[in-house]
Amino acid sequence: MLERFTYLLRRSLTNMRQSPFLCFASVGTVAFSLAILALFAIVVINVQQLTSHWSEEVQVIAYLDKIPEERVLQGWIDRIENLPEVDGVTYVSRQEAFNRFGKRLEQEADLLRGVEPDILPASLEVRLKESHRSRATVEQVVSHLRRDLGLSDLRYGQEWLERFESFLLLLQVAGAVLGGFLLFATLFIVANTIKLTLYARREELEIMALVGGTPWFIKTPFLLEGALQGALGGILALGGSYGLFQFVLQKGLGAVLTVPGIADVVFLSGTQQLLLVGTGVFLGSFGSLVSLRKLVRI
Amino acid sequence: MIRMYNVNKAYRKDSAALQDINLNIPKGDFIYVTGSSGAGKSTLLKLLYGAEKPSRGQILIDGRNVTRMTSAKLPLLRRRLGVVFQDFKLLTSRTVFENVAFPLEVQGKKRYEVGKKVYQVLKYVGLEHKLHRRPLELSGGEQQRVAIARALVVDPLVLLADEPTGNLDHDVTMEIMELFKGANARGSTVLLATHDREMISRFPRRMITLEEGRLVEDRRP
Repeated sequence: MLERFTYLLRRSLTNMRQSPFLCFASVGTVAFSLAILALFAIVVINVQQLTSHWSEEVQVIAYLDKIPEERVLQGWIDRIENLPEVDGVTYVSRQEAFNRFGKRLEQEADLLRGVEPDILPASLEVRLKESHRSRATVEQVVSHLRRDLGLSDLRYGQEWLERFESFLLLLQVAGAVLGGFLLFATLFIVANTIKLTLYARREELEIMALVGGTPWFIKTPFLLEGALQGALGGILALGGSYGLFQFVLQKGLGAVLTVPGIADVVFLSGTQQLLLVGTGVFLGSFGSLVSLRKLVRI
Repeated sequence: MIRMYNVNKAYRKDSAALQDINLNIPKGDFIYVTGSSGAGKSTLLKLLYGAEKPSRGQILIDGRNVTRMTSAKLPLLRRRLGVVFQDFKLLTSRTVFENVAFPLEVQGKKRYEVGKKVYQVLKYVGLEHKLHRRPLELSGGEQQRVAIARALVVDPLVLLADEPTGNLDHDVTMEIMELFKGANARGSTVLLATHDREMISRFPRRMITLEEGRLVEDRRP
């Protein structure tokens, strides 16, 4: 069995060596198509990172008209923190709110001279877990705070949240549609290139069938060849897109997407890199399989 | 060895390539299939090696019904057949040795067995000194000898040849015919499609003649 596999693998490698141009055409097509896909993915991933940073702004602020006793306040904080959607609660005293306001005014902080911190209310800032930063959850938490704790002055940036959610939806739909389209186009181009390369070798396929090659004996080396070319194309695409990322994309995207407080523009993660090469292998073998079904008829 | 019963083949509905062919070819026979171009010679051979299926009728080779053979079984039959074409059908990217070794590799033979057998056959066709050449570096006659070696390397039950000397000059034709005679003498049943009357008269054997897809003559010398 192993000997048979080694023989078929050796034949795939010999085929590639004997038809360098056809091999180059397939590898090049896979590499070019996957590089475009990778660059698209990098843009999407970084935009997602940005939106994830924005979503940190999704929080509920409960202003307290009267500051309760510390024991009661701690009771409230514990109850809120026990909600499954809540990541954490911070109590902002009047003094802290006053200090923050002063900081925000920067050079105009002098305006606050003579003003007591009492003019600002104390508040509880309720941060939500990343998976729960949606309008529905926010409203759920708000109604809980109203009903169970009797808090009435609650702010959560309704309008901003609505706009943010529609933007997120648009981003997801556009990403899925464009990504799907790109993947389909890649599959189509790769399958057709492989079909052309196999068509150039149809006589070889015919002779194999003529001397008694079983369908799998005939197809396996071509499938292996497709997979190897796909893997090679994937690795080249990875290298190419990394080069482009280093020299062009990082600066370009950085200028558009980075905001203070979030990390730099990122490249594909290890898993995503493996996935890209895996996609190459899939494209190569699937493209070969589809073409072989039409060309090898015994 | 080969039996054909009421075999018909039509590529299109309105014209038949072969009509009502009944044929019995005993083991070890050498038989010419003649007829003008388009008479159905190539179609007859294609039906025998399973490249085409008959529209009607039955074909038996060595007791096995080719017409009912599944695509999984057909390759096993082909491993017992040798086929030679006018245009050689060699793999131009491979050496002479690799071309001749190919049918044995398909059968999963061990490397040392392959090497030994290929060398023997190449010696038989007189090309043992050119085993590392590629087909396009050889003359037409030599290429056909490689094709014959590829057909003979499996010790075929039946050797099918479709106009094997059609592209070759007179002297080379005679050499090639000697190879077919030799294969026949070793036990292979030979079916050779040709319209070369001179060759037939020089090497007289049983001859069937096709005309517009019908078998019109079955003559023994």
